[in-house]
Amino acid sequence: MLFQIPATSDIDKVDADMKNNKKKVLSPSKVVVLHLICGIGLASSFWLAINVYSINLIENPVETLRLVWLIQVPVVILIYSFFQKDKNQSSYLKAVARGLLGLPVGAVVNALGAIVLGAPVGTRYFQRTLNWSLVMSAFTFVPAASVYGSSWVDWHRIFALTKPNGFIDYMICIPAYGAVIGAWFGAWPMPLDWERMWQEWPICVTYGAIIGYLVGMLASFSFAVHHVSSQHVKGD
Amino acid sequence: MSMNCTYFTLLIAVAILLQITGLSLFVFGFFPIRPALIGVSGPESFRPPSCEDQNHTALHPHQLKLLYQKLSEIPPSYDRLILMVIDGLPAEFVLGRDDLKDAMPYTQSLLASKMALSYHAKAAPPTVTLPRLKAITTGSIGGFLDVLFNFNTQALLEDNIIGQFFRIGWKMVMLGDETWLKLFPGLFTRHDGVSSFFVTDTVQVDHNVSRHLSYELYKNDWNLLILHYLGLDHVGHLGGRSSVMMGPKLQEMDEIIKMIHLSTIRSLESAHQRTLLVVVSDHGMQENGNHGGSSYEETDSLALFIGPGISHVSTTYDTISQVDITPTLALLFGVPIPKNNAGYLIADLFHTMEDHQLLRAMELNSWQLLRLLQAQATDSTCESLEDPYSSLYLDAAALHGSWKSKNVLRSASSDDLKNTVLAYNEFLRTASDQLTHRATAKPIGLLASGVMTLLLSCVMFLGLLFKLGQEIYPNLLTHKFQLSEALVGVIIVIIVLSMGSSSLVEEEQYLWHFMTSTFFLVLLHKTIKSTTGNCSCQLFLIAVILVSGRILKGWHQGGVNWTHLPDIAKSLESSRSPYINFLQIISILLVISLCLYTLSSLWSRGNIVILIGLSYLCTGLLVLQYVLKYQGNGAGTSNNDAVLAVQVIYGFIITSVTVTIIASPWFMSLQSKDLVLVIKDCLYLSGTTYMFGWCLLQLLLQQPVNSMVMSLLLVQIIATIYYASRDGSDVKQWVEIAAIYYLGMAGHFSLGNTNTLATIDVAGAFIGISSHSTVRSGVLMFVITYASPMLALLSMVMSISVKENNTILKIHEVKMGQLLKIILGFPCLVPLGLNSVLLVAYTIILLVMRNHLFIWTVFSPKYIYVVVTTVCVLVGVFIVASTVTYIISTAVFLRKKRLR
Repeated sequence: MLFQIPATSDIDKVDADMKNNKKKVLSPSKVVVLHLICGIGLASSFWLAINVYSINLIENPVETLRLVWLIQVPVVILIYSFFQKDKNQSSYLKAVARGLLGLPVGAVVNALGAIVLGAPVGTRYFQRTLNWSLVMSAFTFVPAASVYGSSWVDWHRIFALTKPNGFIDYMICIPAYGAVIGAWFGAWPMPLDWERMWQEWPICVTYGAIIGYLVGMLASFSFAVHHVSSQHVKGD
Repeated sequence: MSMNCTYFTLLIAVAILLQITGLSLFVFGFFPIRPALIGVSGPESFRPPSCEDQNHTALHPHQLKLLYQKLSEIPPSYDRLILMVIDGLPAEFVLGRDDLKDAMPYTQSLLASKMALSYHAKAAPPTVTLPRLKAITTGSIGGFLDVLFNFNTQALLEDNIIGQFFRIGWKMVMLGDETWLKLFPGLFTRHDGVSSFFVTDTVQVDHNVSRHLSYELYKNDWNLLILHYLGLDHVGHLGGRSSVMMGPKLQEMDEIIKMIHLSTIRSLESAHQRTLLVVVSDHGMQENGNHGGSSYEETDSLALFIGPGISHVSTTYDTISQVDITPTLALLFGVPIPKNNAGYLIADLFHTMEDHQLLRAMELNSWQLLRLLQAQATDSTCESLEDPYSSLYLDAAALHGSWKSKNVLRSASSDDLKNTVLAYNEFLRTASDQLTHRATAKPIGLLASGVMTLLLSCVMFLGLLFKLGQEIYPNLLTHKFQLSEALVGVIIVIIVLSMGSSSLVEEEQYLWHFMTSTFFLVLLHKTIKSTTGNCSCQLFLIAVILVSGRILKGWHQGGVNWTHLPDIAKSLESSRSPYINFLQIISILLVISLCLYTLSSLWSRGNIVILIGLSYLCTGLLVLQYVLKYQGNGAGTSNNDAVLAVQVIYGFIITSVTVTIIASPWFMSLQSKDLVLVIKDCLYLSGTTYMFGWCLLQLLLQQPVNSMVMSLLLVQIIATIYYASRDGSDVKQWVEIAAIYYLGMAGHFSLGNTNTLATIDVAGAFIGISSHSTVRSGVLMFVITYASPMLALLSMVMSISVKENNTILKIHEVKMGQLLKIILGFPCLVPLGLNSVLLVAYTIILLVMRNHLFIWTVFSPKYIYVVVTTVCVLVGVFIVASTVTYIISTAVFLRKKRLR
């Protein structure tokens, strides 16, 4: 019993949230669809890279990463803009524009983080770092920018305090954290002397980020399902 | 609940003592020290060992040769020696049990017709070329610590057979691996060294040796010809034992043996130019072609003797030790056996001799081994004949004596001879085993007790740390761990786990930088999270730490595998630009201004602070002047003026640091009546003094390219201290100290250090030393190499002083012992605890990895670093603890005196 108290209060908050924007009530099925579309976008970009352009991440990291973000960014922006928080001026186009604006900002933040952690600097690596950080931005910043816009309180809440609140928050922050943590772990094989192509920056880091992102989406999805089932139990 | 201070200090001292004891036990068990005899064997080696071995006068080589011949009573069996070293050839390739046996048809035909004598020669680890060549030439098995003891000397100073040959006036020619030229500089009449650097080259490297061969064989003016072929080793490194190139390479070697045999041995047999061809390999190789460890495949090297009069009697190939080659060659060519030889002669090669000559050879070998055993015996008295080997020797000598007297009367039977030979063999084998065993055996009991003691001390440190944490933070267990606090533990666990992998040991610098940056990124996240306090200033400090950390990471590429990649130091050095000098001046100015800035908050405390500031300004300017005057123009650092200038700077730094520390409590007590303020000011002043004194010293000693690294490290540490002292941050003291410790470790690698011994700056260890002194050079080498961890430890004093510590305000309420414990507990225990975890973990890893391929090339050098880091931590903690204790107790004492 003791553990249910915070859960119910959480649900109350979610309920209140849902009441607030009645137009876009978020059901778990929508979460699933959203993550599915993001996943399909990612998969299709890799499919295109291999089958149509016959490039792959290991041999042509720059081209492949460019393809990935070129496909992933529109998908993410278009999908997440449906769930924008800013209710007063709820123009869909504005949300799209904010998402587009978030892309370069997120890329700069991600690139800085990577460089601080030891990513190589120099003209040789500029293209790689640029395209990698754009992909990371599509995983982390762009969805949040589309949904929250420039609301500092929301950004602070989910990225600094790590206190997500409701489906949308979870949907944004779990995959984003997954991508970052995955990228962090992905850097581990880089100093080893295995002399494999994929140890180069940013190939294994990208793999780590993608795996983390997918795991994050899965977690967010299962969280949604779990939440609904517990709600059903409560209803009964 | 709370522990008495005296008791607490006592426990820490016990733990430290246990650590030192355990470490010594382990080190002496794992790296046995073999006392090598200095000097060379002379004519006295042909006399029985006695206490007064007098020095012989210098003789002309020719006279010496005649003297040796007269004394040894054995005429040399051969006139010339060809020593052919085939790098990395496993004996199995020649002697069977491998399908490559057919690749050397000529050698096989020699073996089949019993014209050659061949052995499996067991090589001792480390199975890499340089130590093996030393073993073949000196007959001794070097310990790993030898590397440390003669760090700077590449030339082989120990008594060796090449030197013995040189002394009797031999002309020697060397073709092949240039290691020989480094070991024996100036001994060869003609030479052509090839480098073993380009492992991918398997053809040219051998062609460069063989191209001179026909000329040298025709030239015929030498006594010793050394051929060292590297190609086979390179083939192994590229493709392993069963590489497709192995067959052709063996055939090439076979052709060379055939050529030598046909041209010299056969044609000159009649012309009194008896030539002995010895084909040896320095070590074997594993299935994948690597070597260095102690597996059978690596230690199974070849020894093959081809020459007139040599005939093989048995059908199987015996196993000898690689060091047995040395006394055999020495006795065959009539020179004294090198002093440190642990091998014993290969009796088969002496079968053509007369009986009394064979016994004489055995006697000479016995005398030499006996001398070595006597020198190594713990009681250095000559009459220590209680040992089993001494009695064995006496038996053999007695039999020899009776055989001699019977031989004169022509009544010696073959049984007498056989018994004497057997007795000598018994002694030689026992003595040789004893000598080689001592160098390679690992006493398990000693190692286990060492590890257990280390483990105990580690547990004690961690237990004390936990206890202290419980006292200072009463709700330690219920309190939810923050991410940054958990990360401190995670980092240590990750570092410990990574040390089991040889490539992560080689590339440790990546790990330290990655983990430290992650830690500060987490702190950044935390700072953004907390909306209270002076946020923007703290953000700025963290940004400074992160950016400087990234620059430091890019300064030296470090490691082993990626050293070829560009880095800042390389680009600065390669361009021969004035930037290095420019950066050096910038960093000196940066350090001076930082120093004055940190002191500026105490300007109001009176003249002493200004005086201290001025003394640092002076020292800094002296360093600047030295850099501009002597380092700019290259080689001017060794003249007298430069040495004097450096010594003046040493004097300045030492004097100002000592005077500041000792005088500050007395002066500060005069300035202020508030005891808390006095203590804080004194600690601040001493902390500043330590840090800047150390930094200025490093700016003087480090290579010019590293001066910027030093100042960036200083900036990082000061920023961390300021960050943690801010009101808004709730970074606990132990987290802060761990962070500074990690910064120090990351900085250690930023200064260009690696886990190989090759990066130690030997040249820097002679700055400002007018006469050669091992101790002073050693201290300087330590100071240069451990610049960064030591800076981190010394900064603890300053960190203590600026901490907004509530406990220091309660000084009137608590006893001094309790106060000291609270103030000094974490700054002492956290570095000790972290280091002891790393030490214990690495000791266990070393023990587990003792048969690993890279034990001597990767793990053991790393262990040396770990041990010296422990010494560094102990020294640093001692300095911090004694300084703080002195200041606080003096301040309290003065206070009491004034109140009275």
